[in-house]
Amino acid sequence: MTSPTERFAAARWQAVLRSRPMLTVAMVALAWIGASFFQPGFGGWRHLRYLLELAAIVGLVSIGQTLVVVAGGIDLSVGAIVTVSAIGVPLVTWLADPTGTAPALFILLCATLIGALNGLGIALLRVHPMIMTLAMATFLQGVLILIAGGSAISAQNAVLSWLGNARPGGISASVLLWLLASAIALWLLHKTPFGARLFALGTNPLATSLSGIGVRSTTIAVYAISGFTAGLAGALVLGVNGQGYVGIGDSYLLASIASVVLGGTSILGGRGTYAGTIPGAILLVTITALITMLNASAGWRNILFGTLIMALLLLSGRERQRR
Amino acid sequence: MTTSTSLLYWRIQNVRNRGLWWLFAVVAAFIALYVYLFPGLLSTGGISKFSQNWFPLALVSMAQAVLMLAGGISLSIGATVSLGGVIAATLLAGPLGVAGGSAVVLLVGAATGLASGWIVVRLGLPAIVVTLAASFIIAGWALLIMPRPGGAVPAWFSDLLAGNTPVALGLLVLVVLLWKLYLATPLGLSLYAAGENPVGAYRSGAPVDLSRIAAYGLSGLLCAAAGLFVAAQTGAGDPVIGNAFTLNSIAAAVLGGVGFLGGRGTMRGALAGSLLLSIMISVMFFLGLPPVAQYVAQGLIIVVAVALPEIAAMRRPRT
Amino acid sequence: MTQDAIVAARSISRSFFSNRVLNDVSITLRAGTIHALLGENGAGKSTLIGILSGALAPDAGDIDIDGVRHAAVRPAIARAAGIAVVQQELSLTSQLSIAENVGMGALPRRLGLIDYSALMRRAHEVCALVGLEQDLARPVGDLPLGQQQLVEIAKALFRKPRVLILDEPTSSLSAHEAANLMAVLRRLRDAGTAVLYISHRLNEVLALCEWVTVLKDGVVTADRSLGGVDAQGLVRLMVGREPGDLFPRWTPSAEPAPIIAVEGLSAGMVRDVAMTIRRGEVLGVGGLVGQGQEDLLLGLYGAIPAVAGRAEFNGVVGLPRSVPQANARGLAYVPADRKREGLHLIHSIAWNLMIPSFGRAPSLAMRRTASERERAIALADRLGIKGDLTREVQALSGGNQQKVALAKWLPSDPPVLLLNDPTRGVDVDTKREIYALLRRFAAEGRAVVLLSSDTPELVNLCDRVAVMRAGRLVRVLERTELSEEAIVSAAMESAVPGAAA
Repeated sequence: MTSPTERFAAARWQAVLRSRPMLTVAMVALAWIGASFFQPGFGGWRHLRYLLELAAIVGLVSIGQTLVVVAGGIDLSVGAIVTVSAIGVPLVTWLADPTGTAPALFILLCATLIGALNGLGIALLRVHPMIMTLAMATFLQGVLILIAGGSAISAQNAVLSWLGNARPGGISASVLLWLLASAIALWLLHKTPFGARLFALGTNPLATSLSGIGVRSTTIAVYAISGFTAGLAGALVLGVNGQGYVGIGDSYLLASIASVVLGGTSILGGRGTYAGTIPGAILLVTITALITMLNASAGWRNILFGTLIMALLLLSGRERQRR
Repeated sequence: MTTSTSLLYWRIQNVRNRGLWWLFAVVAAFIALYVYLFPGLLSTGGISKFSQNWFPLALVSMAQAVLMLAGGISLSIGATVSLGGVIAATLLAGPLGVAGGSAVVLLVGAATGLASGWIVVRLGLPAIVVTLAASFIIAGWALLIMPRPGGAVPAWFSDLLAGNTPVALGLLVLVVLLWKLYLATPLGLSLYAAGENPVGAYRSGAPVDLSRIAAYGLSGLLCAAAGLFVAAQTGAGDPVIGNAFTLNSIAAAVLGGVGFLGGRGTMRGALAGSLLLSIMISVMFFLGLPPVAQYVAQGLIIVVAVALPEIAAMRRPRT
Repeated sequence: MTQDAIVAARSISRSFFSNRVLNDVSITLRAGTIHALLGENGAGKSTLIGILSGALAPDAGDIDIDGVRHAAVRPAIARAAGIAVVQQELSLTSQLSIAENVGMGALPRRLGLIDYSALMRRAHEVCALVGLEQDLARPVGDLPLGQQQLVEIAKALFRKPRVLILDEPTSSLSAHEAANLMAVLRRLRDAGTAVLYISHRLNEVLALCEWVTVLKDGVVTADRSLGGVDAQGLVRLMVGREPGDLFPRWTPSAEPAPIIAVEGLSAGMVRDVAMTIRRGEVLGVGGLVGQGQEDLLLGLYGAIPAVAGRAEFNGVVGLPRSVPQANARGLAYVPADRKREGLHLIHSIAWNLMIPSFGRAPSLAMRRTASERERAIALADRLGIKGDLTREVQALSGGNQQKVALAKWLPSDPPVLLLNDPTRGVDVDTKREIYALLRRFAAEGRAVVLLSSDTPELVNLCDRVAVMRAGRLVRVLERTELSEEAIVSAAMESAVPGAAA
């Protein structure tokens, strides 16, 4: 019997520091420190808190996206599901409940079911994830316009307004929600057999299925989770804005994918961690804020995002040789 | 080996129609339905209007299909269409004139495609992410040129392309002929080999990398051409007008039987797919369905089209 | 004779992930000679071909082509020198026509376009030469495997090679097609082509070749004329040891009652198979390549749709409908293609060892690092997997990868092991360990089903051998009647030529 230390080389602290999540954290820190020099208000507590509130929504959507991407898929319907949730809650006010909990829970259930439907199409009908989720997004967009039309829908929902605006103890409720969700996501991904199955599935689906892992159930579950987190983010969007309209969730699709990539998760599946996506989401909103601050146009923001994703992709040479 | 040698090319072409007859039949049925609903289609004006609606979709479907055949995919189709449109609306009425401006539009499209292709192929990075990042950059560029819809296209040019003559149809025929010509070159034919069996193609000495990069260049060129046409059609540039084309191009290619894994499918299939999509939208419009119902139908149709072969395969035991 | 040398490789060495595959190998290919390259699976033949054709670069050594020295041959240099390779892995594009495939990479052109009439003429010539009588406009994907192999050979001939390298070209050809190929190769030799011929069929080698180079574990053990050598002599050159050395001594331990009994089983290629599997035995599954052996295992394992008239698995009636269900009934499966079907290459050894337990455990149970490590170490020790278990599996040698693929099943203590060619591409030492392990499993009262393409394995290791042909189980040979001849003749029995295709 050999000793554990011989068989498991201790992870060195240098390796942790050089890991991709840490690289992203360093970039966030750099951006914040740099910006504080040029713009005194930037590094202030209120402004940083505001940035984190924005990042919370992106971060919630990215939980599902990270898990799906780790499992070798991609979810292009998250933007539409955010919209479903933001528009759906006002539409189901007939679920009379002064606190607004019942409509919120009902819509979360719907979002989860939409995600599960994605998973069903991918697992049972073997539709390519990109096609299935794109088609779902198109379908939802049509349904939403039919139901809600082009105008914004306002809602008085006590629970969601509280989540969107309250700051118990000076810390935003939405950020607390994000923290809680992040802890659960990290536990799920790295500390449960379910999480391990996602990594296995994303690395080699055939070997995974021959190893006795239920590929179908895992696929359906991971897309359902993605639907749920996108729905949660949508509810938060409604809470912050007080109203929903068709298209309100669109920007979260690319933001979620960008956060996942910025966080170092392999877009090809099988490698990655939500611990990278968290700073990835913060980096994303920070850059957006910087550009707004510099009064640069939306065009420059897009170019910067694109260049950043491309640059990080080039830096992580790991992606090479795997197609 | 029964027929003479010079016919080989045509017989190969004929074999490629195999498996597409059902699609051609469905397209024909929809055309018949459309003509029944709207007899005006059979006039010059009707054909002109219809082909003008179809033309940009046909171009982006070809742009997507050429990449999917080469084993890639592009999420920057829509952004490139928008970029082509805003450059056209900026330059065509300027000192470069229509000819010079159009040339710049096409060159820019090809260059963006080649750049993405070079990164994907030479640096070995996944096409989905590279083209996603490229779509941000290209869309940003379009927004820099034209933050909001505007610009102008000379009226005679709009009339020429989008007037009451079926010029668009003629242009499409020209594009298809050029594509056939390209496929008849060693570089063009290598596209199939590079997409389906890159290792084998490389061992055979086929120009794998070059043909894949060229595919990205062609794809960008076609997108920019679609943008140019859309600008002429609307008489102005719009930095986000192309967005819907990314999804639609994938949908049309998939409807036309082009596979995700490379080397599977044909350009004629992708074109038929785009025609089907275009007609369905028109038919739904004439049936009095609200325009947005097409989204609902489109989502359903795509999933069904992709899932059908799988459902059929489930009934057979694996071999 | 040296002045005829077209390609001369000297002192070639090459490693993959610190696993040395070729060690100081030299080989000379001469004009007008058919040269045999022999060796067991995993001896390094494919790597050597890769280096000669420019697909791989050697770590050390150099190669002379027509007297010009190269440290590494690039594919373009090899093509320019007229080196053409027919690999086992086809280089064809299924959607393109036969003619286009034959010409791919060397298409005749006129004004920049492909000259289809010249292509037709020349493709027709080479296809007629190899005996492929097909409409050249047909897509290659329509052809059966044997004819695709002919297209691959025609493709090599299309380039009018001076050096032709063929890797197992007859593996999926009918007897008639193979004989035709032999005649073509002789004609090429007489015209001055250098041919390097790799085959497991020793009688082909003896009938065709003049010179032989034998590789064993990456080292050249013989480089000599074939004059005066017989089949036994060839085997001795390749194996270099008595077979008794490789296989463990064992006594039958089979229990009379079956743990698995099926009747009328059909799955994939498999038609109407009745068989029993007993605890304590090693049941061999043999036959020519691709007669439905793999589908038999996958059907039993619930991995492909299967139907059976009657089935009983470990006391449960009916076939398992899915892999998890098969696992629950005590079945485990080790695939032949470890890299694609068995392992998660980019993850650590320890993680790979835990995968089946991730499938079994409740989805949201807490994983415990310490106990996972303990279990991984115990498994690694049991199978002799050495070193740091946090290494990625792709860095291991084929033998160690196979051990990981096998070891991961042991925690669930499966009473039935389905093994698909477990020694393919594995070094000799690991083979010996695996053989001993299989008999130990049987002695512990497990049922082991061993699908193998290696006939000596079946003869020396198995209690019984089930021989398959065209999807049917044609014979079950008991231990008393087991011999290589018995297995081969059962596999070929009244075989229709071309049935393999």
